Amino acid sequence: MKNRITYKKSAGNLLDTGITYIILLVVAFIFFFPCLWLILASLSKSGSMYSFDGFFPQSYSLDTFKKLFQDTTMYNYPKWFLNTLFVATGSCILGTFLTILTAYTMSRFQFKARKPMMKATMVLGMFPSFMGMTAVYLLMTQFGLINHLWGLILIYAAGAPMGYLTQKGFFDTIPKAIDEAAKIDGATNFQIFTKINLPLAKPMIVYTALTSFTWPWSDFILPKLLLKEKNLYTVAVGLMSLDETEFARFAAGSVFIALPIVILYFCLVKNMVDSVSAGAVKG
Amino acid sequence: MRKKLVAACLLACMVFTTTACGSGSDSKAASKSGSDGTGSALFTGELEENVTIQVLENDTAISEGYFQELIDAFNEEYKDKGIQAVDANMDQYLDLANDGPYGYGPDVLYQANDVIMKYAEGKHILPLPVEDLDCYDQIPESAWQAYQTEVDGKTYTCGVPVNVQAPMLYYRKDLLPDDWESTWDKDSDGVPDMTENWSSMYEYSVARHSEDSSKYGYMKSLNDMYFASGFLFSYGGYIFGDNNTDASDIGFAAGEAEKGANVLSQLASAMNEDCIDDTITTNAYSKLADGTYFATISTPDVYSTFLAELEKEYVSEGLSEDDAAAKAKENLVMTSLPQLPESGDLTDGSTEMIDSKSMGGVNGYAISSYTKAPNACLEFVKFATSYEMTKLRAETLGVAPAREDAAEEVGGVSKEIYQNLDNGNIILMPSITEVSQIWTPGQTFFIDLAKDVYRPESEKKYTSLESMKAGLEDMCNQINEAITTLQ
Repeated sequence: MKNRITYKKSAGNLLDTGITYIILLVVAFIFFFPCLWLILASLSKSGSMYSFDGFFPQSYSLDTFKKLFQDTTMYNYPKWFLNTLFVATGSCILGTFLTILTAYTMSRFQFKARKPMMKATMVLGMFPSFMGMTAVYLLMTQFGLINHLWGLILIYAAGAPMGYLTQKGFFDTIPKAIDEAAKIDGATNFQIFTKINLPLAKPMIVYTALTSFTWPWSDFILPKLLLKEKNLYTVAVGLMSLDETEFARFAAGSVFIALPIVILYFCLVKNMVDSVSAGAVKG
Repeated sequence: MRKKLVAACLLACMVFTTTACGSGSDSKAASKSGSDGTGSALFTGELEENVTIQVLENDTAISEGYFQELIDAFNEEYKDKGIQAVDANMDQYLDLANDGPYGYGPDVLYQANDVIMKYAEGKHILPLPVEDLDCYDQIPESAWQAYQTEVDGKTYTCGVPVNVQAPMLYYRKDLLPDDWESTWDKDSDGVPDMTENWSSMYEYSVARHSEDSSKYGYMKSLNDMYFASGFLFSYGGYIFGDNNTDASDIGFAAGEAEKGANVLSQLASAMNEDCIDDTITTNAYSKLADGTYFATISTPDVYSTFLAELEKEYVSEGLSEDDAAAKAKENLVMTSLPQLPESGDLTDGSTEMIDSKSMGGVNGYAISSYTKAPNACLEFVKFATSYEMTKLRAETLGVAPAREDAAEEVGGVSKEIYQNLDNGNIILMPSITEVSQIWTPGQTFFIDLAKDVYRPESEKKYTSLESMKAGLEDMCNQINEAITTLQ
C-alpha cells in the first residue's frame, strides 16, 4: 500500500516536472526563435531575405559582418557603435550617480519639501517621456546641443533620477541604526554615505548602472530628434536609415549591437540576483 | 503719476512698434529693388568669401562616387575664392521645415520636385534667378514648370532640374526564350515583342508561369500609385486639371482611364498575391537577379542596385567578379515602357497600340532660405548643373539628364526619357501641396483592384469597365474630400 502511494507520488512529481519543463521549453522557444532567426539571417550569404529557403537562409557566410565594418562609405556602423557606446557609458555614469544621490537623500534625510517632491516625481513619472520631445528639441536648439552627443547624455542623465524609487526602497531596507552608530562614533553624513551605505548598496548600484546603460543603448526617438549628422548617429538611428535592400546589414548590425548588453548582463547578473535576494531577506 | 508712467510706456511701445514696422517695409522695398528677375534679392552676385556650404545629395550619387567628384571639382575651381562645398552628411529624407530655421539644415539640397515645392510653399527655399543659368535654355519648359510657383501674379522658380525620374522597364536578356527571335519578334525588328507591348508581355508572363509555377514574367506591386497611375494616364486620365494646377478638377477617372485599370487587373492576374502589397517592390532586385521574375518596372536611379544584385548572383554561380560585372551589364536591360493596346484589353489580339504614359518627377537642386551664403550656393548650383557635370552624373549613375545637350550626348535610355518628357509621355508630379492627398486614396483603389483578381468569382467587384470607372470615380471623390477637409 505504502509502495503504491510512493509510486503514485513520484509519478505525479515526474508528470508535474515534465509538464513544467515542456511549458518552459515552449515559452523559451517562442522568445528565442525570433533571435535565432535574426542571427541566422545576419549570416545569410545572399544578403536578401527573399532568397531564403522557407524560414532560413540557403547558405551562410560571415561576409555581411565584414561588410558591416569595412564598407563604411554610406553606413558607418563602427562610428555609430562608438557613438552609442559613448552616450550609453556617459549616461550610465552620470545617471547612476544622480539616481543614487537622489534615492539616498530621499531615504535618509527628512526635510520640508521631501513628501511634495516625492509626490511630484511620482506624478511626473506617469507621463510618457516622449510627451515633452518638442520642448526638449526647442530647449536643445537654444543651448546649441543639437548634433552633440553630450546633449543626449545630459538628457538621459537628468531624467534618470526620476526613477529613484527602487533605489530608495533599497536604502530604506538598510537599518538606520548603522547610521546612528556611525554618527555617535563621529562620522559625518558624507562618510556615512560613502563608507557605510554605498558599499552596502553595491548590488543596487550595479542594477542602476545596468538599466542606465541599456536605455540609451537601445533608444531611438531622442537620438533621431537631436542628431542630424549621419556620423553622429547611434546604432538604433543608423540601422533605421538603412536602404530597403540592406536587410542583411540590418540583421548583422542588430545582432552585433546586442552583444555588449548580453556580455554586460552575464558579468553583472550575480550582483543583480544578490540585490534582489538581499532585499528579500531584509524585507 | 502712475497714469502718466503707464501712458509713457504705452507711447514708447507704440513708437518702437511703428519704427520696427517702418524699417521692415523699407528693407523689403530695398530688397525688391535689388532684384530685376524672379530670383531672391539675396542673389546679389557678390560671392561670400571663406564660406563652407553644406550640400545634401542623394544616396546613390554618394555611394557611386559621383558626389565626391563633384565637390572635388567645385572646390578646386573655387579655392581662390575661399568657397568650399562639403557633404551635409544628413539623411537624404531631411526635414528642412523643422531643422532649417534652427540652422541644422543643408545650404543646397538635391530632392524631387514635389519635396522641394512643398518646402517652397513654406518659404524654406529661395526663388532662383534661373534665367542667368547656362542650363536655362537646355531644359524643357515642362521641367521648369515643376519648380514654379505663383505668388501675387508673379512666377518664381525654386529649383533647377537635373535629372528626370520616370518608370522604366527592367528585364533580363538572358531569360528570354532561346527561340525568341522566331517566336517573340513578330515585327522582326530585333527587339523582343514582350518589351515592346504589354499584350505580348502579358502573354509571355502567362506562358512562363505555366511552364514553371515558381517563375513569373512581369511582376510589380500594384499598390504603388506612382507606377500604377501611368496606365490611367495612357487612356486619358490625369492628376489635376489646368496643367496640374487646379486641384478642384481631379482626373484619375477622366477619358477612358478605366481601360488602364483593366490592363492593370489583367497584368495582376499573371502575377501572385504579392502584387497586392509592397512585397514585389522590395524583392524585385533579388528576384530579377535569381531569375524568378523576368521583368519589372522601376526608376532609372536604382539601375545600379539591380546591376549589383545580378552581379552577386553571377558570382554565386561561379563567375569571377569581372566576368560577372560584364555579364550583368550585358543582360540587364533598362528600356522605355512597352506600348498599350488601344482597346484596353491585353488578350483580344488587337494590334493598334498607343504610347504608354507615366507619372514622373524631376530631381534637382534648390537653395535653403536659411543659408548664410546664397551667392556661393548659387555658384555651386551653376557648377553642378553645367553640361560637364550633368553628363558625368548621367554616365556615372545611369540617370536621365534634364538638359537636352547632355541627354543627346549620353544617348540611349537618357535620350529616350528626355524625349518622353519633351513629348508629354511623362506627366510630372504636380507642384501644388494638394498632391500629397492623392496617394492614400489611390493606393486603396489599386490594392482593391489587385485583391479583386484573387477573390472568388462570386465576390469580384471589378467585373466590367463600368465597375472600374465607378471605382476610379470613387477614388477621385475620396481625394477631393481629403483636399477639401484639410484646406
